[in-house]
Amino acid sequence: MSTSVFSAPGSVLSGKPLRAIAALILVVNGLFPALWILLTSFKTEAELTLKPITWLPHAATLRNYSQAFSDQPLLTFLFNSVMVALLSTVLTLLISVLAAYALARLNLRFRGLIMSVIIAVSTFPLVTLLVPLFETMRALNLLNTWTALILPYTVLSLPVCTLVLTSFFEAIPRDLENAAMIDGCTRFGALFKVVVPLSAPGVFTAGILAFVNSWDEFLLALSFNSNPGLRTLPVGIQLYQGEFAFPWPVISAALVVGIVPVAILIVIFQERVVSGLTAGGLKG
Amino acid sequence: MTSTSKNAAGRVDARRARLSRWLDPDETTLAVLLLAPAAILLSVMIVYPVGRLIYTSFLDLSLTSGLPARFAGLANFQQMLDDPVFWQATWNTILITLITVPGALLVGLGLALLANLPFQMRWPVRLSLLIPWALPLAFAGLIFAWFFHSEYGVVNDVLNRIGLPGVIWFNSPRLAFAAICLAIIWKASSFMAMIILAGLQTIPRSLYEAADVDGAGRVRQFFEITLPLLKPTIVVALIFRTITALQTFDIPYMMTGGGPGTATATLAMYIHQNTVSFLDLGYGSALAVVMFGLSMCVTALYLRMIRGSESAS
Repeated sequence: MSTSVFSAPGSVLSGKPLRAIAALILVVNGLFPALWILLTSFKTEAELTLKPITWLPHAATLRNYSQAFSDQPLLTFLFNSVMVALLSTVLTLLISVLAAYALARLNLRFRGLIMSVIIAVSTFPLVTLLVPLFETMRALNLLNTWTALILPYTVLSLPVCTLVLTSFFEAIPRDLENAAMIDGCTRFGALFKVVVPLSAPGVFTAGILAFVNSWDEFLLALSFNSNPGLRTLPVGIQLYQGEFAFPWPVISAALVVGIVPVAILIVIFQERVVSGLTAGGLKG
Repeated sequence: MTSTSKNAAGRVDARRARLSRWLDPDETTLAVLLLAPAAILLSVMIVYPVGRLIYTSFLDLSLTSGLPARFAGLANFQQMLDDPVFWQATWNTILITLITVPGALLVGLGLALLANLPFQMRWPVRLSLLIPWALPLAFAGLIFAWFFHSEYGVVNDVLNRIGLPGVIWFNSPRLAFAAICLAIIWKASSFMAMIILAGLQTIPRSLYEAADVDGAGRVRQFFEITLPLLKPTIVVALIFRTITALQTFDIPYMMTGGGPGTATATLAMYIHQNTVSFLDLGYGSALAVVMFGLSMCVTALYLRMIRGSESAS
């Protein structure tokens, strides 16, 4: 239970009106850009060029949404984004569950060194992988495949997931595992029948972090998968702009379609996301 | 019991023993088995590519020329020294880091202090920190490009409403750069705020109660209790932010494409251009080696600090 729910003695501001202003600042800062895009997505092209600009749409229309799906293969972009993010999340979880268990439970001689390596990898600049991976994927004919993105994204999320899972595993009493092993479970059995189910919130949290990491990535997706059928959402969204024309209402509609899935995920699982971010960020 | 069934039972036992040795290995074998997938992935996806990167940076390897790779010594690095775009992009990257890291920290600290107030409903506050974090950088870049649009952007509209003239943001190197920095600070500050907020909530209330008894005001409490206790949290967040800022790509790519001219190009954008557009892998690699060096310096600092705090505690 966090103390902040009741009072915040550490803060400089207090009092009810100040609280209302604070809430307003936070919500406007956090949600205005998304809200502005939502409003734009309902405006007609004609309304967009009015001066002074309008804030609320005069004649709200859904045409931009149908156009967003017909102008570009938006569903394909969504499908690619979801599949790449899901598959890399599953792969990341499989690998990091095993590694985290070893770090949390076994008496490793090089534990300090392994932790340092994980932290160093967590700060690794993905941009530098661009050249060698581009070369390798090109040679292996993997450009324009999901695999070209799934593997680097797994590396991207592996450190933070391992750190989050290690801290969750450490919190599970060893006795439960020992009891399972006395009952005839093997160590692997105990891991997957006792430890993983008990730390399900942790596994889930790590999964969301990995998913969002993959969902957001742009540079590698832009460089490796230029074929329209294999573009992910952030890359595909650029295709709406012509050389000189920016159909902002249609772009906004496409952005809204791209924001909604993750926004729903965040709304449902907000507490887990916060705990995962802080565990991953602070444990390091 | 007949001897044949005894033999069969023995064989089953042996097989079971072999199986259980596989399923229930000793500690060292288990450690190797558990860590192997991660180790293999990291070797294939990081150790090998970094080796390959350094090797390629010494090659004259351009896929457009159609010529085979040729060892070129330090020629790529020589070319870099004489390349004004390289210097511009590197300087821009460093400037973006120097502006947006402290910027995101200050804004994030402010947001965290606001979010730590005793609200009745927590979820709108939490959501307004989480949505900017979850928004893909490329989306944020597009949205801010729309915000700063010279004719129909909301920023110029607000400027007009308070009596100031609108500005053509993306025609001026300085203004374009400022717009990019604002977008980055907005995107990064919410993550910063969440980390700092978590840190704020670990500070025991008793410290503030004691300070109240001693008659210390809220401002003094902030500087003498809150800030010192937040320091470890802030330092970790700063290091991660710095390394991310060095790799800045998505937001300027979406907002300006590096323009006007190369005024807002970053090192990551220049690496991307040389590798993917020009297919000059040799030069792209040499640029990436510089990027690798820059971020390794920050990582080394970070690791040293962690070791320091471990031995201190």
